Amino acid sequence: MKGYGRTPRTMMSLLLLVGTITWIMLVAGCGGGETEVETDPTATGGETEPAVETVPEPIEPEEPMEGAGMGDRDVPDYSTMEPVEYGVEDVFFAFDEYDLDESAMATLARNARILKEHDDVVILVEGHCDERGTVQYNLALGEKRAKAVRDYLISLGVPSNRLRFTSYGESRPFAMGSNERAWAQNRRAHFARP
Amino acid sequence: MRQASRALLAVAALLVVAVPTLAQGQPDVSIGIVKETAEKFDVLVGTLDVLSGGMPAVDAATAIERTVARDLEYSGLFRVGMLESQAETDSLRFTYAIRGSVEGPVRDADQTGEVVPTTISLDLVTYPGGQLLLNKRYRPLPEQMRITAHHFANQVVEILTGEPGIAMTRIVFSRGSGDRRDLWVVDYDGENLMRLTSNRTLNLCPDWKPDGTEVAFTSYHRGMQGLYSLDTATGEVRQIIAQEGLNLGASWHPDGRELLISLSRAGDPEIYRVSADGDIVRRLTAMRSIEISPSWSPSGRELVFTSDMTGTPQLYVLDDVGSARRRLTWEGRYNDSAEWSPSGEQIVYATREGNLTQLVLIRATGEARKLLTDRRWRNCEDPSWAPDGRHVVFASDRTGTFKLYVMDVLEGGVRQLTFGDEPDITPAWSPR
Repeated sequence: MKGYGRTPRTMMSLLLLVGTITWIMLVAGCGGGETEVETDPTATGGETEPAVETVPEPIEPEEPMEGAGMGDRDVPDYSTMEPVEYGVEDVFFAFDEYDLDESAMATLARNARILKEHDDVVILVEGHCDERGTVQYNLALGEKRAKAVRDYLISLGVPSNRLRFTSYGESRPFAMGSNERAWAQNRRAHFARP
Repeated sequence: MRQASRALLAVAALLVVAVPTLAQGQPDVSIGIVKETAEKFDVLVGTLDVLSGGMPAVDAATAIERTVARDLEYSGLFRVGMLESQAETDSLRFTYAIRGSVEGPVRDADQTGEVVPTTISLDLVTYPGGQLLLNKRYRPLPEQMRITAHHFANQVVEILTGEPGIAMTRIVFSRGSGDRRDLWVVDYDGENLMRLTSNRTLNLCPDWKPDGTEVAFTSYHRGMQGLYSLDTATGEVRQIIAQEGLNLGASWHPDGRELLISLSRAGDPEIYRVSADGDIVRRLTAMRSIEISPSWSPSGRELVFTSDMTGTPQLYVLDDVGSARRRLTWEGRYNDSAEWSPSGEQIVYATREGNLTQLVLIRATGEARKLLTDRRWRNCEDPSWAPDGRHVVFASDRTGTFKLYVMDVLEGGVRQLTFGDEPDITPAWSPR
C-alpha cells in the first residue's frame, strides 16, 4: 500500500507486528523441536518397556491438526486468535492526549477493513498510558483513548456490538523504561481477544 | 544468664526504636520542606518486672516494651527513652514513665498443649513523681503480645491528648505488576503483611468502609472493570456495581451507607453516589470531560474531586447534591488523588512537577498550598490520611520500585512501610 505516507510510529507498529509474527513462528518452531527431542530419546532409550510409552506421545502433535480441521474452511478461526495475529495493529497517542492523529486514523482504517472481513470476531479495545501521572487519571485517559478508537471504528462501519472497550491505565506497559521511547510505545490502544 | 539475655534483648529493642529517629536525620530521607516542631511528651519506657514465667515471660516483656515504645515514637507525639539507654535517657527530662509487670506462664508448664494466658499489668505514671495516670491489666495469649502493647499505647495517647492512638490501624494496598495486582494489608507499623485477593487480575484503589468491616476496590472480570467489596473478616468478595466503562475511585461516605464512585456509563467519567449495594443514588456531575477521584469530607456534606473541564486536571469541591461547585487548585497543570483530612481542615493531593508527581497539602479553603515532597523522592502518589490527621501513607518509587511510606506531615519525618521487589501502589489507611 502507501509506502511513503508512513510515519515512524506506523513503522514501529509494523515492526512490532513483524516481531510478534517472528515470535509466533519461533514458538511454533520450538514446539516442533521439542517433540522431536522427546521422541528421539524414547526411541533410543529402550526397546521392550518404553515401546508402550512411545504410543501416547505422537498423539500430542496431532491435536493442533485436529483443531485446524474443525473450522472446515481455508481461513483460520480468528475468534481463537489475538487480533495482532491477523493484522490488527495498535494505535498510538501523544502525551496526555486521546485524539486520533492521521497516523492513528490510517491504522484504524486498515484495522476496520480487516475486522469487516471477519464478521464473527468480537474484540476488546484496551486503552493504555505511559507511567507518568496518577493511577486514576491514567485509567480515565486510557478509557478516553479506547473509546476514541472504538467510536472511529464504528464510524468506519464496524458494528458496535463487536467492539468492547476497557482501560488498564498505566498498569500494563508494553515497553519498560522511563524514557520517551518507552512512553511513546505505552500510550496506545491495543486490540485483544475478550 | 537470664540477666545477660535480657540485656541483649533490650539492646535489640533499642535498635528497632532508634530506626525512625535515624531515618529522620538522613538528608535523603527527610523532607526538609515541612519544618514545624510540635510539643512532645517525654516518656520513659521502663523495663517490665518479670514476676514469674521464665524466658517466655521475659520474651513477652521485651516484645511489649519494644512495641509500646515504637507505637509512641510512631505517633509523633513523644520523645521516647528506654531505661537501658543511659545516653538517650540523660538527654531527656522525662515527664512520664511506663512501667509494669509480666506474671505467669506464657505456655502451659506441663506441655499438655494447652495455652495459658500471661497476666500483664501496665501503668502510665508521672515522672519522677510516680502518680498513677493509667493502669491496665491484660491476659493475652502468647500471640497477642503485640496487640496488647498496641492497645496500651493507644490508651496512653488518649489519656494525654484526648484522642486515641492509631497503633491498631492497618493499610490496604495493591501489590504486583503487569496483568496481576493483588490487594494486601499490613499493620501500620509494617508488621503482619497479608494478601487479601488472588484472582489473577488487577485489583486497585481500595477504600475502607468507615467501620472497617469492608474494603471497596476496583477489579476486572473478563477485561471489564467493576467495583467490588471485600469482607475484611471472611475475605469474601461481592460485586457492588459493574457498569460499562470505569467503575473507579470508591470513597465511602462517613455513614457507611453510600460510596462516591466514578462511572463512565453516560459517556465520560462522572461522579456518582451509589448505595453500598450498588444502586445509583444520584449523579453529581455532568460535563464533557473527565471527572474522577472523589473523596468525601469528614462531615459527608461535601466532596473533593478531579475534573479536566478546563483542559488540565484540577481539584474542585462540590456539595452532596452536586451544586455549589468551587475550584480548589489554581497552581500546577496536573492535580489529582485528593483526600480530605479527618479534621476536615486540610486536603492532601498529588501534583505533577515536570515529569514527576509530588505531594501537596492545602487548606480546604484553597489557601496555604505546601509541597510535601521534592524530586529526591521521584514520584509520590496516592496519599491517604491516617485517622490521626497527622500521618499520610503514599507510594513512592524513590528506590526504583513503588513502595509505601508514612509521612508525619506536621514535622516531615518519613518511614518506609513496605519492602521487597514488587510495586506497591494505591494505599488506604484504615479507620481506628
